[in-house]
Amino acid sequence: MSLLPPFELHRPSSLAEAVELAALHAPDASYLAGGTDLLPGYRQGLGPRSHVISLDGIAELRVLETERIGAMVRLAELEESEAVARVHPVLPKASRAIATPLVRASATVGGNLLLDNRCTFLNQSHLVRSHHDFCLKAGGGGMCRVAPQKTTCFATFSADLPAPLLALDAAYHLAGPDGKRTVPARAFYKGDGIARNALRPGEILTGISLPPASRGLAACYEKLRLRRSVDFPEAGIAVAARFSDAGNLREAHICATALATTPLLLSHFAEPFLGQALTPESAQKIGEAVAKAVRPAPNTSMPQSYRRTMAGLLAKRALLGALAQWSGRRSA
Amino acid sequence: MKLDPIPDGRKTVRVRDVDPEASWRPYRDVPPPGPHPHDPPGGPRLVGGRIPLVDGPLKATGQAAYTDDLRLPGLLHGRFVRSTRAHARIVSLDTGRAAAMPGVVAVLTGLDTFQLPDGSTARIGDRRFGVLPLSRDEEALPAEKVRFVGDYVALVAAEDEETAEAAARAVAVGYEDLPPCLDPVQGLQAAAEKIHPGTGLDGSNVQKHVDQEFGDCEAALRNSPLVLRGRFTFRGLNHAFAEPHCVIADAGPGNRLTVWSATQVPHYVQRALADVTGLPLHRIQVIRPYVGGGFGGKGDPFPFEAAAALMALRVGRPVKVRLDREGVFYSGRGRHPTDLEMGLALDAEGGLKGLDVQAVLDGGAYASFGIITTYYTGVMCMGPYKVPAFRYRGRRVYTNHVPSGAMRGHGGVNNRFALEVLLDEAAERLGQDPINLRLRNLMAPYSHTINGFRITSMGLRECLERVREGSGWDARFRRMPVGRGLGVGCGFFISGSNLPIHWDIPPHEYPQSTVHLKLDLDCGVTVHTGAADIGQGSDTVAALVVAEVLGVGLDRIRVRSQDSDTAPVDLGSYSSRVTFMMGNAARRAAEDLRRQLVAGAARRLGGHAEAYVLRDGEVVDATDPQRRLGFDEAARAAIAGSGALVAKGTFVSSPMGGAFKGATAGLAPAYSVNACVAEVDVDVESGAWACTKAWVAHDCGRALNRLAVEGQIEGSFHMGLGQVQGEALEYQGAALRNASLLDYKVPTALDTPQITTYIVESNDVDGPFGAKEAGEGPLLPVLPAIANAIYDAVGVRCRDLPATPDRVHALLQAARGPRKPAAPGVRGP
Repeated sequence: MSLLPPFELHRPSSLAEAVELAALHAPDASYLAGGTDLLPGYRQGLGPRSHVISLDGIAELRVLETERIGAMVRLAELEESEAVARVHPVLPKASRAIATPLVRASATVGGNLLLDNRCTFLNQSHLVRSHHDFCLKAGGGGMCRVAPQKTTCFATFSADLPAPLLALDAAYHLAGPDGKRTVPARAFYKGDGIARNALRPGEILTGISLPPASRGLAACYEKLRLRRSVDFPEAGIAVAARFSDAGNLREAHICATALATTPLLLSHFAEPFLGQALTPESAQKIGEAVAKAVRPAPNTSMPQSYRRTMAGLLAKRALLGALAQWSGRRSA
Repeated sequence: MKLDPIPDGRKTVRVRDVDPEASWRPYRDVPPPGPHPHDPPGGPRLVGGRIPLVDGPLKATGQAAYTDDLRLPGLLHGRFVRSTRAHARIVSLDTGRAAAMPGVVAVLTGLDTFQLPDGSTARIGDRRFGVLPLSRDEEALPAEKVRFVGDYVALVAAEDEETAEAAARAVAVGYEDLPPCLDPVQGLQAAAEKIHPGTGLDGSNVQKHVDQEFGDCEAALRNSPLVLRGRFTFRGLNHAFAEPHCVIADAGPGNRLTVWSATQVPHYVQRALADVTGLPLHRIQVIRPYVGGGFGGKGDPFPFEAAAALMALRVGRPVKVRLDREGVFYSGRGRHPTDLEMGLALDAEGGLKGLDVQAVLDGGAYASFGIITTYYTGVMCMGPYKVPAFRYRGRRVYTNHVPSGAMRGHGGVNNRFALEVLLDEAAERLGQDPINLRLRNLMAPYSHTINGFRITSMGLRECLERVREGSGWDARFRRMPVGRGLGVGCGFFISGSNLPIHWDIPPHEYPQSTVHLKLDLDCGVTVHTGAADIGQGSDTVAALVVAEVLGVGLDRIRVRSQDSDTAPVDLGSYSSRVTFMMGNAARRAAEDLRRQLVAGAARRLGGHAEAYVLRDGEVVDATDPQRRLGFDEAARAAIAGSGALVAKGTFVSSPMGGAFKGATAGLAPAYSVNACVAEVDVDVESGAWACTKAWVAHDCGRALNRLAVEGQIEGSFHMGLGQVQGEALEYQGAALRNASLLDYKVPTALDTPQITTYIVESNDVDGPFGAKEAGEGPLLPVLPAIANAIYDAVGVRCRDLPATPDRVHALLQAARGPRKPAAPGVRGP
């Protein structure tokens, strides 16, 4: 990995100031949150900018309440938040499944939601990328090295937190040159590995909020990775579900990560089973449908066929995990 | 896989007429337990204790200076231009734009020439070196071609790192691609373009071949009631040591070259620098600062050291080259990717009848230690079991991959895995307990293998008994629920290579280790040794051995091991040789000093020098305890009239072994043995597994320092676990795709189980105070123990490492789900 390229660091203390700085230096500027994704990318020559605008000094980005989480909340803080854990324990749990404790002390919620897509051809040194003659997303090559026939980028969406947030139907709050707006998380991510999401130039993700309707959902996140720490997801499934008093599945929201260029909402695979008791057999069936539906690209460490099969297993386990949580809550 | 013998009359070794029973008959009695002949009267005070490493406080407080911490006036920074091609001729090299950048001092390529000491000129790309004198195939910088993605092309030196990096990127290289060899099995065939023309087998990329047979292996395979065969594959590994490579070279005033390098082998670096620069050895000083781990990955002299030296000679200023982690992966020298087939013949009772090994090793782009690896991959299977017939065909193939080399357990890990997995299968087929099957085949202490290895102490029986008891084996093996399993494996490793790789022949005229001591009026003892402490604790071994013999505390000892100007030659930290060889040299040096001290005491106080003993900081006449001097007084008495005392001790291994070609490969003055039981939990739906507990017993002869031995056992376990769990060099096209510690998956603390260690002390006759190695051997049993535990848990055999979840899942699918294998005593189908 090369040295960190030189850049000018700006430290605004308000959102307005940050947005103004970005506009002033556009397009040669990027926002800096925890830096655990952005700066390793810089060192590999992936989109370095001459102006880096730190969001560290903007107090309103650090709000941490039960249903409102600022973008600059560190993952380590999210994990420790009793307020969040009381209502949505899945969020601290998913956060703990990210990277390492050291990284999470610096990495932020917003940074994870905007984590750049990853690919074994992309996240490489200049040397290795030049061996492969670069690619669509970086280096100006005209070809995706994962799917050479295609003109879109297949870099894999690799963040963990969006999966439970989409399942819980969170909203993302954005601020930019044209003011503030709110986008449902489920509508935020779109496009290929380059386009990625609905963020406009100069916009800042300021935080997320969870709808009142998400209260009482039993949620679970299951992640596939080789090691019990460090690794990005090879596949991840979050389920948020509600059950009737009789134990029947009333609603189920399923979201997958690390299986495409965006998170995938797969709730429709649970629809045939609504109104019925969730059993290992029905969870298995939903899982099988999920496995059949996903088409991961071969650009992470594990084989794509295995990730596909495991997506089904993770879905089954996340469904049963949600059920167990609901049962536990009821008996408590 | 069927490897045909390569007709080569001189090199093929076929010894049909062996007498196994005679080889296995002990050549001497096992020494009775009790004090070792090296123990001081009254027993050791330090040996066997738990002694924090002498450099521990410096390292723990951040004060130990590693190479990258050194700051020299006028220091320049070097950056390499590396190849983006797997195999290509360099057709143009334009350094003009880089050289013209402000702050750039020089750009060096393999086409540049320099002046040799005799006044003649040489081209950099024509000066070859290599760790083994037999296979010098590396250049500081290439003049003609590159051999893997990441290979060196040019070196830029600049006033700061940023400039050096920018300039390195500004060097324009024109390549003409050559057909690459990316598959070693393909590499056995004729090559359109040899990677190293003029070396190895004619026409192919085979660098080294070994064909050996002892006894009639074919007959054993044909006639034995039980014959098992298995094909095993292994990926390449990286050592993943903590401190990246770093070198500083300085050819300042004084007409000498000084090189600071994070190396395991300072004297080989000195020799290689002489080969490249043409300077006489005495004008090359190699300093080894504190080193943050090596595991074999710093066991070669490297192109970056040679190129830095040439740059320093060129510019007359010190130059530092520090590799980044990606550069560490390109330096390679990790475990060879290996394709191995093994056949094992047994009689109906489980006695070994024959062992047949075939292996193709992916050597990568350079030879490194590969000749030795090729031999070891066969002959390291010759112990600890009685093998009456053995056949080996090994081929090491040059490929356009990162160079392979020596890594912890060098040449003994992959083959051991195959053997111990096949033994597990054999035990099941015979309805025997796998520990009992191993015990049945154990070699006796102080006996020979059929190919002439001289075994000394051998504590494997006790090792197996300890892990059997500790793990609750008899109650739990094959008896736990599906998904949980226990597995066993054993290991056998050299305690130092008997053949010294010197730069002069005949090698046995030179000691493998020499230690000097100095005792002056400050009454402290300075130990001079060239043994390279790379974190394994050799400075502590030197200090504690000397302190033990002199009967003083460690506070009186200071070890100077970093500077080739003052350190007597020690060959380096590899092949687990240092404790045995340097330890013995240090012991003898201390005994020499002790003789001088007691002579001084006798002169001062009267009596016979031989009657004096050193203990607890005093020199005492054992026959008349009134005659006693404190150590300070005794030292001054001995120094009086003579000046500072100097003492010397050496270690030369005894001549041993057969007379056939390759007979020295695998010979060692002693062998360590060990056993491991691992426990795993397998997720039967996903194939994911976790090693939840482990028990490792290691026979290190005698623990000089229990704390250090336990650390080595635990570290070995962790590294062995890595090769099973997921460590592997992965290529995408011809380029590594995981040259980082994010993507190269070393197990984390959470992946590592609680490890129970047992130190078994067989009290080796020749080891210092009875000690043998502990740094590498304990890795060997770990891999098969885990794979055999997975088998116990779910009934599938992992023959391909790493045993990643997707592979275990595929095996479970093929087996139509998990099953519990039959318990011993219940014969399978």
